[in-house]
Amino acid sequence: MRRRIVITGIGVVTSIGAGREVFWRNLLAGSSGISEIESFSTAGYRTRRGGEVKEFQAEDYVERLNPAGLGRASQFAIAAARLALEDASLSAGALAFEQAGVVVGTTSGEPQFVERFNDHYVKRELMRIGPELAMLYPCHVIAANVASELKFGGVNLMTPSACAAGNYAIAHAFDALRGGRAELMLAGGSDAFSRITFTGFSQLGAVAPERCQPFDRNRRGMIPGEGAGMLALEPLDRALARGARIYAEIAGYGLSCDAHHMTAAHAEGEGAARAMRQALAESDLLPEEVSYISAHGTGTPTNDRLETVAVKRVFDGAAYQIPISSIKSMLGHTMGAASAIEAAVCALAVFHDWIPPTINLETPDPECDLDYVPNQARRRRVEVAMNNAYAFGGANASLILRKRTWN
Amino acid sequence: MELKSRKVVITGAGVVSSLGDSPGALHSALCAGRSGARPIESFSAEGVGCPMGAAVEDFVPQSYLGDRNLRPLNRIAQLTAAAAQLALESSGWSDAMRREREVGLALGAMFCSVKTIAEFDRRALTAGPAYASPMDFANTVISAAAGQAAIWHNLRGVNSTIATGAASGLQAIAYAADLIRSGRATALLAGGAEEICFESVFGFYRAGLLCGSDPSSRGRANGHATFYSGYDKEGRHNGADHRDAGHFPIPFDARRNGFVLGEGAALLMLEDARTAAARGARALAEVRGHGGGFDCSRGWDTGHAVAAITRAMRQAMDDARLLPDEIDCLSASANGGVAGDRHEALAIEAVFGQREEPLPSTAIKSMLGEMLGASGGLQAVAMLETMRDGRLPGIRGLEQFDKDFPRHAISVCRQWRQLQRPRHALLNAVGFDGHCCSLALTARAEEF
Repeated sequence: MRRRIVITGIGVVTSIGAGREVFWRNLLAGSSGISEIESFSTAGYRTRRGGEVKEFQAEDYVERLNPAGLGRASQFAIAAARLALEDASLSAGALAFEQAGVVVGTTSGEPQFVERFNDHYVKRELMRIGPELAMLYPCHVIAANVASELKFGGVNLMTPSACAAGNYAIAHAFDALRGGRAELMLAGGSDAFSRITFTGFSQLGAVAPERCQPFDRNRRGMIPGEGAGMLALEPLDRALARGARIYAEIAGYGLSCDAHHMTAAHAEGEGAARAMRQALAESDLLPEEVSYISAHGTGTPTNDRLETVAVKRVFDGAAYQIPISSIKSMLGHTMGAASAIEAAVCALAVFHDWIPPTINLETPDPECDLDYVPNQARRRRVEVAMNNAYAFGGANASLILRKRTWN
Repeated sequence: MELKSRKVVITGAGVVSSLGDSPGALHSALCAGRSGARPIESFSAEGVGCPMGAAVEDFVPQSYLGDRNLRPLNRIAQLTAAAAQLALESSGWSDAMRREREVGLALGAMFCSVKTIAEFDRRALTAGPAYASPMDFANTVISAAAGQAAIWHNLRGVNSTIATGAASGLQAIAYAADLIRSGRATALLAGGAEEICFESVFGFYRAGLLCGSDPSSRGRANGHATFYSGYDKEGRHNGADHRDAGHFPIPFDARRNGFVLGEGAALLMLEDARTAAARGARALAEVRGHGGGFDCSRGWDTGHAVAAITRAMRQAMDDARLLPDEIDCLSASANGGVAGDRHEALAIEAVFGQREEPLPSTAIKSMLGEMLGASGGLQAVAMLETMRDGRLPGIRGLEQFDKDFPRHAISVCRQWRQLQRPRHALLNAVGFDGHCCSLALTARAEEF
């Protein structure tokens, strides 16, 4: 009998609030976190808006490490990790330290240190450059910083699988727990704003000027965002023994690769469909048993169309009966954090029987003709939620959460 | 199906390194004690305290990958795709088979390309954001090399990048083995890749970690979290100034003063033993087990640092159901770093101190340099060759053992030596931020 793994804690840092309660309230209310970017100059760019986390004070969360010595993605990750532990009513020392681990996904790691390096480099001030590229930039410092802060000495690694990284991290942690390599895992994703990612998405022509409008006929692209999401995962027996609140059980996951193109999805959604099918098979579920799909839903013309194709490919006629929404309409695309925050949303949907809306959805697109939960949150029994995420390089990840049953 | 019931075998290997692009060539060079470190030519090393690097010189990607358009692939993606090509060839995974069945890729990388991301940003800084290339942006993400290699070779299975600094490559092999053991996959390429570039060399130089670095020209990190930055909290270099050892790394030697950076890519083809046998593949070795540990003190506390490496080795042996006396040889992570080598030596003593005979060991980073994400893959490929012919490479330059070196626990030589039928090997990988991974490999009995 395989160990069953459940989610008992949720920590998020987002542009619509930090902490599970305020985040969920704002999400169901359809609040937008998109605003003028303040953390770096957007002069010279075609757009200047993003899902920026404002009024974040690392000092509020970081206790053991020196907050000033941490990159912003590490600060977000530590904050989300502490919030998740607190939400799970766990103290950092609740377990033998070698049984507690951390897996974090990211797209860019701590790119602000590349920027700092370059600011000196272009002025030919090489000797003003510190060791940041070797010591502060490499993405593994994010998981290391979280674990050092919490004194977790178990499984520790990064799954930098770009914009599907959060799901990869949760999948990895799920396997570590099932394989008996850990008794408690904090898993999720974190990414911070940087001029590098903002430049990159702008140059891909993928950024919308004002709003993110997934599945709308007039959608103009994604909006860059930032934040972190961390989940506390533990074996069901341990959670029951300590009387923990259980949000949802992880039923299974599927990972696949399009092996097609670095930035464009496969035209028939071939790889995405394989990941969804694998996740359903592992969860021992039929497509029609899924009650909610959290879409990757970036708001780019191609993503939303192809994602719709992929969902129909797997769910066939049932696709029209399953609500599917994109919270990127509210948060923008938080990159490596996105699927971790969306996994938290799936857990909350399963726990509360509420589905968050896709906001800014005004004009239906004939090519996107599913039920995208437009503009209003919906009360609906959610037995099973599927969380889809897709990344540069064609990596696909589908995660399935379900209501905990007693059998 | 119960977890861990499946056996994981290695059916092929591909390697591109400073010491050759085949397991045989690499093994010969290592046993001959050749160093891949040479003065760096790919960029101006002026102002960089350590002008040496173990680069893959004269790398011609077309010779592995043919005439298809290589332009979208940066150097690390080309190295990765080349190693993948060699591993696919050596394990007999044809194009047609890959269309039929999913092959995955688990790639360890520390930076992937810090060069690409830095150049992308500099272009935007100097010419304006509108001049930064969208194609380069796709290659700035840390998973880019894994994505590019998957596209090149039609690898449609799990595509995962694992980052734990210098432990990344071994960690990726461990992860891939677990995917097969738990029945999630039947075939994956696993290993690591890294490239040498100005950005990484300068970063490690300013961190005081490269051998021959002048300790007085210290960089300033804003409150660095790791002891392995080479400097203590007051800014003193935390090793003696052993500049007389020159620009070559000497793991475990009392005179060691840092490492040189290396580059390369190494991938193993890992398969479920049953499906591999069903297709008539030969098994080079078995991945028996792995273990990990994280040092929350990041090296500041010697006891914690040693305990984390100790945990990784013990867990790997437990997972493999092997006892310390059953291990026939060890591939150490030691790279010539002042603090890291000492921590590993003390951990080896804790694990193997009670052995009847000292454990024959090697540290191939003495010749290949610290290849960061690629190191674990290179160690694994080199160990396959040791298991094949029993020859264990020496540690280049080793003369004076460090006072903490446990000579009763392990034996190391400057020259290669012949082992009698090595069956079980342990590989260590220790990163710069507390990440430790150990892997246990077992030779296939029918090979002997």
